[in-house]
Amino acid sequence: MNIILLAWKNIWRNKVRSGVILAAIAIGLFAGTFLASFLSGWMVGTVNDDVNTHLSHVQIHNEAFIANSAIDAFFMKEAVEPKIRAGGISAPMSSRLRVTGMLASPHKALGITVRGVDAADETRLSTIHTLIPDSMGSFLAEGERMPVVISRKIAEELKVKLRSKIVLTVQDAAGEMQSIAFRVGGIYKTTNAIYDEANIFVRYSDLLPYTALPEGAVHETALRFDDLETCELIAPTVTELLPDMKVQTWGELNTMLGMSLAWTDMMAVIMIGIFLLSLSFGIINTMLMAVLERTREIGMLRAIGMSRGRVFRMIMAETVLLTLFGSCIGILLGVCIIIPSMSSGIDLTFLMGDLFEDYGFGSVIYPVLNMKMFVQIICLVIATGILSAIYPARKALALKVLDAVRH
Amino acid sequence: MNIIETKSLCKIFRDTAQEVYAVNNVDLSITAGEFTAIVGPSGSGKTTLLNMIGGLDTPTSGSIIVDGKDISTLSENETTAFRLHHIGFVFQAYNLIPVLSAKENVSFIMELQGRPKAEIDSRASELLGAVGLADRMDSRPAKLSGGQQQRVAVARALASRPRFVLADEPTANLDSKSAANLLDIMVKLNEQEGVTFIFSTHDPRIVAKARRIITLEDGGIVSDRSV
Ligand SMILES: Nc1ncnc2c1ncn2[C@@H]1O[C@H](COP(=O)(O)OP(=O)(O)O)[C@@H](O)[C@H]1O
Ligand SMILES: [Mg+2]
Repeated sequence: MNIILLAWKNIWRNKVRSGVILAAIAIGLFAGTFLASFLSGWMVGTVNDDVNTHLSHVQIHNEAFIANSAIDAFFMKEAVEPKIRAGGISAPMSSRLRVTGMLASPHKALGITVRGVDAADETRLSTIHTLIPDSMGSFLAEGERMPVVISRKIAEELKVKLRSKIVLTVQDAAGEMQSIAFRVGGIYKTTNAIYDEANIFVRYSDLLPYTALPEGAVHETALRFDDLETCELIAPTVTELLPDMKVQTWGELNTMLGMSLAWTDMMAVIMIGIFLLSLSFGIINTMLMAVLERTREIGMLRAIGMSRGRVFRMIMAETVLLTLFGSCIGILLGVCIIIPSMSSGIDLTFLMGDLFEDYGFGSVIYPVLNMKMFVQIICLVIATGILSAIYPARKALALKVLDAVRH
Repeated sequence: MNIIETKSLCKIFRDTAQEVYAVNNVDLSITAGEFTAIVGPSGSGKTTLLNMIGGLDTPTSGSIIVDGKDISTLSENETTAFRLHHIGFVFQAYNLIPVLSAKENVSFIMELQGRPKAEIDSRASELLGAVGLADRMDSRPAKLSGGQQQRVAVARALASRPRFVLADEPTANLDSKSAANLLDIMVKLNEQEGVTFIFSTHDPRIVAKARRIITLEDGGIVSDRSV
């Protein structure tokens, strides 16, 4: 009968009480881990959606363009793209004109940003072309005359359909107003409603003549890598290759998004920490009850010769075992529920409708179980168990042997 | 040789107003192999005296020599170890660990002593056989009668191979038949194995089984006779 086995038997003296605290630990650990991986998955999903559809991992502009988005803050495509390729970077890349203007139908006019793109480059770079259903046209397909790709949201606002004629008005580099007639060639929808409100695409060659800019002039070059980690590795190289340009990563382009991702993991750990703090009060309470109702027995054990150290270790072992066992159940729950949902995803449309998309988030969330965080959580739970054990164990030592054996 | 010797042993409890001489100037010698009853009315100081001899309570004055060692000079940890290795205890109640079987309860004390596993196993079985519980070794205390529990406690007290066993009113919670049975077992162990027993009681039928009877009144010895 070693002390661990005795402690284990002692835990099951009061099955209900131990069961309740075990459930609290297990559900708490599971809920914490689930919440953390859910939040993490939500953020990573949102970032990837935005990166894949429009943000890309890295964008390159003129310093001046960052400040005022002016049409004359352009650079030459040939001055940038070859340098990047020469630097050994083979990631998909697209250079664009990017101009703000008005888009008008007979019904209404909207302020928008128009990108003049090379359809082939853009198709390699982003997934936006996949977000146009077959019934909604194509992404600037060859053979179409003056096509424009707009979002479903813009189409609804302007009350236009596929093939409708709409007029784009921009101010060219010389300050002249230019009105250009386009036909709706494709209607897309991303998961980011804010983006959808104001972004349209036309061919580079269709837009250039109305900008008063030289052939080859662009406002931005976008790059997309395999994933966020690769981006982190390669982005600094791009910056080095282009010392005169402003090179920004997705997190700098959308600072909210960048910060959210960084904070989500930390927030999850903080939340779990707070939860564990309250859990530790539960553990202390349970163990204190367990010690106090055994006053006589602990006194008897001390009387027959069990040392203070052994009594202390016995109570510590009971508490730590309880915590460990609860954690194991929690981890098992987590593995059984979180891991399958990581690939199947959790569709929140039933809960919130399109609310998430209206704020720029995807509504199917793929939880991401961050191993480092998972280990952190387990360590925190165990530390909580050990810390919560100390007080009840000390209480057990404070019991007077004589009080216990006297009648 | 005396295994226990008290000299001018006093224990005074000081309440708010009055002083109670629970044990008053007791000089007592116990030799190995005795079977001694300490008797006296309730409040006469039996428990206090046994607690001091067992190192559970400290005297106000006087000394207790066990095996030539003054136990009042030991530190707390030393006293605990001393109890573990030299003294067997049987209390009136709450003797056993409820989550352990009879055999595990008896083994437990030998494990605390750090004895080898094989010895623990055979000695626990042997002792439970000696107290007539060979067939109840795997029962938990709750499944045993009060008398059977006290017999397990006696087996546990002997398991550590103590110099003597202290039993404070071991039959107080038992019916007369179980009480007589427990005493018979103690007598047998005393006679066959030479275990020294010192027990307190106020039950006259139990007293009759003792070979030395020490009577206390108001904390002092009023008679000490061997039969
Ligand atoms: N902790 C204590 N505080 C105060 N008085 C006590 C305490 N323990 C025992 N006494 C007193 O000491 C006397 C002897 O008690 P005790 O040794 O328990 O007698 P017995 O075991 O013979 O009944 C009694 O008067 C009792 O009230
Ligand atoms: Mg008493």
